[in-house]
Amino acid sequence: MPAHDAASPALLVGLVALVAATLRLSLPVLITGVGATFTELGGVVNIGLEGMMLFGAFCAAWAGITAGPVAGIVAGALAGAALAVVHAVAAVRFRVDHIVSGVAINLLATGLVRIGSYRAFGTATTSPRVEGLPALPVPYLGDISPLVPVGFLLILVVWYVQQRTPFGLRLRACGENPLAADTLGVNVEAMRMTGVILSGLFAGLAGSYLVVELNHVYVEGMTQGRGFVALAAMIFGNWTPVGAALASLLFGAAEALSIQANVAIPYQFLEMLPYVVTLLVLAGVMRRSTPPAAVGTHYTRGEE
Amino acid sequence: MRWTRGLLYAAVPVVALVLAGLIGAVVVRTTGGHPLEVLQVMLTYNLSSPDSIAGVLSRMTPLILSGLAVALSFRAGLFNIGVEGQYLIAAFTASLAGIYLAGLPAALHLPLTVLAGMAGGALWAWLPAELKVRRGVHEVISTIMLNFIATSLLLWLIGDVFRDPTQAGTTRVRMPEIAASARIPRIHGLAELLGIHLRPSVALDWFFLVALALAAVVYLVLWRTPFGFELRAVGLNPEAARAAGIPVPAVQRKALLLSGALAGLVGMSDLLGYFGYLDIDFPRGYGFTGIAVALLGANHPAGVVLASFLFAFLQRGGLGVQALADVPREVITVMEGVIILTMLITSAVAGRWLRRWERAHILAGQSAGTAGGGRTRPDAPGREEGHHAGA
Repeated sequence: MPAHDAASPALLVGLVALVAATLRLSLPVLITGVGATFTELGGVVNIGLEGMMLFGAFCAAWAGITAGPVAGIVAGALAGAALAVVHAVAAVRFRVDHIVSGVAINLLATGLVRIGSYRAFGTATTSPRVEGLPALPVPYLGDISPLVPVGFLLILVVWYVQQRTPFGLRLRACGENPLAADTLGVNVEAMRMTGVILSGLFAGLAGSYLVVELNHVYVEGMTQGRGFVALAAMIFGNWTPVGAALASLLFGAAEALSIQANVAIPYQFLEMLPYVVTLLVLAGVMRRSTPPAAVGTHYTRGEE
Repeated sequence: MRWTRGLLYAAVPVVALVLAGLIGAVVVRTTGGHPLEVLQVMLTYNLSSPDSIAGVLSRMTPLILSGLAVALSFRAGLFNIGVEGQYLIAAFTASLAGIYLAGLPAALHLPLTVLAGMAGGALWAWLPAELKVRRGVHEVISTIMLNFIATSLLLWLIGDVFRDPTQAGTTRVRMPEIAASARIPRIHGLAELLGIHLRPSVALDWFFLVALALAAVVYLVLWRTPFGFELRAVGLNPEAARAAGIPVPAVQRKALLLSGALAGLVGMSDLLGYFGYLDIDFPRGYGFTGIAVALLGANHPAGVVLASFLFAFLQRGGLGVQALADVPREVITVMEGVIILTMLITSAVAGRWLRRWERAHILAGQSAGTAGGGRTRPDAPGREEGHHAGA
């Protein structure tokens, strides 16, 4: 089949480009989604991830411009964690409703980044160019960000920490049965707060990647709901880091497809895909989902 | 004791607002402004003339409706975080009615258009309601997902399917104009009767009064009807409600549909009273501000109206502050988040403190009555509070 042979190289090139784009585009959701397992396994719902990613993105731009890409990435991750501390204190220490606190965090973040951007860059909406890390040349895929392999390594690290260390066991116990964990001497409050803060650290890191590596600029609202997509990926991935990562890659592939022209489906429907798929999963159409038993609840030791 | 208790509970929002104000003052300082000057600018900018007061009131309309929608779901123990998506879909369905039912007399066309909006909002709430009742899907997750689906769907519908053909080739992506018979009239005539002259640029329309009336209706439904009693019972304790014979899933479904129908009204003032067409830049964010409004208003219709005034005051004041005091209006966006957090933490701390205080009172009363009655503490250590979102 000569016609087929002639088409193959072009198809292959297109496919490789698609894979490279998928890796690039799915990383923010992947990192945030993998990190989100920490907060949920500990039993705390965190819908403030979007705000934490946005705040991380802004701080990464700020530090990246003043002190270089590495400082930017670290600052972004820490900024996400800092905002997560607020959520942890409100939702765990003061037992505020997890969802409400998350909504407040998102509102807080949108305001904070606008003020910060106004102060740091003179305009509330964009930053000057942010230099990235030196790219890694990878055969076939071309230049990719060093954060891509880091992101994939993190999946394994998170899996190991959650499934093979005492910390992971205690964290999961707090999300499944906090009373039992408490009885065995686990500090439920501290564990849950740690889980929330870790998820914020990952969301902030994802924000750093968006600015320092992917776009090289901070733009207002640039997270575009990726924090919520990450939440969707984590649910689709059935609350496991590997599942969340696979779901992120699927969503990233849809995004990459929608950017590459000549797709018959309007791009808005590809945008909807993560949310529709998550709804179907939750509705039990595709597969049973098994969230941690005590997720979204508060734990009180009875000193009230 | 009853009165003291009521006063203490009423003091919670006040304390929260004072705390939020202090944090806001710090934020203003970091942006180089002067807190008292900012406050003064906001007061004069918002309250110095009938026009500026009417400007604040017109901003209240969507906030009251959004706050009512959230509060109603909250009272049923549900968390309708999907008001955002519901009012966007409603703006679209209302636009369809406003465009394609043209030719009807206004007395028929306007109510039908508004009803189409309510139906659109209810439709977008029906999905999470069914998922909740039939599949046990938490409404928070499903409504978040549906918010995003609504945004994308609307971009497609406005941009690709129902785009105004006369705007083709321009950068304006919007639907055709809504017929004049479906537009909400301004309130200026009524104001004139009361001897108040409002400038034509003031956007206050009749829907403000509709929103106020609906606050009263929601109050009556929740506290003066059997259905309202069932709804609140389900919200307070679904297990007890079930045991008392209340059909919990049916009540939850109705509550979410009602909340969605109210949410469908959120965008009506902007759509039918101001713009007259739906474009891709239709105002966003009312759904999330509505959550703040409902919380600050303690999920009570009267509280919702008061909280709407505060947020409308802040939002409009933010514009004045930006223009006159050279402080970015983003300070105000932060304030919404700060107010929610201080409100939540204050009420959580105060609630705990008040419960302890009440228990001490009761125990004191008991030991005075039956000395050494040997009562054990009502709650064993390690008791788990299983209350979910919206409790």
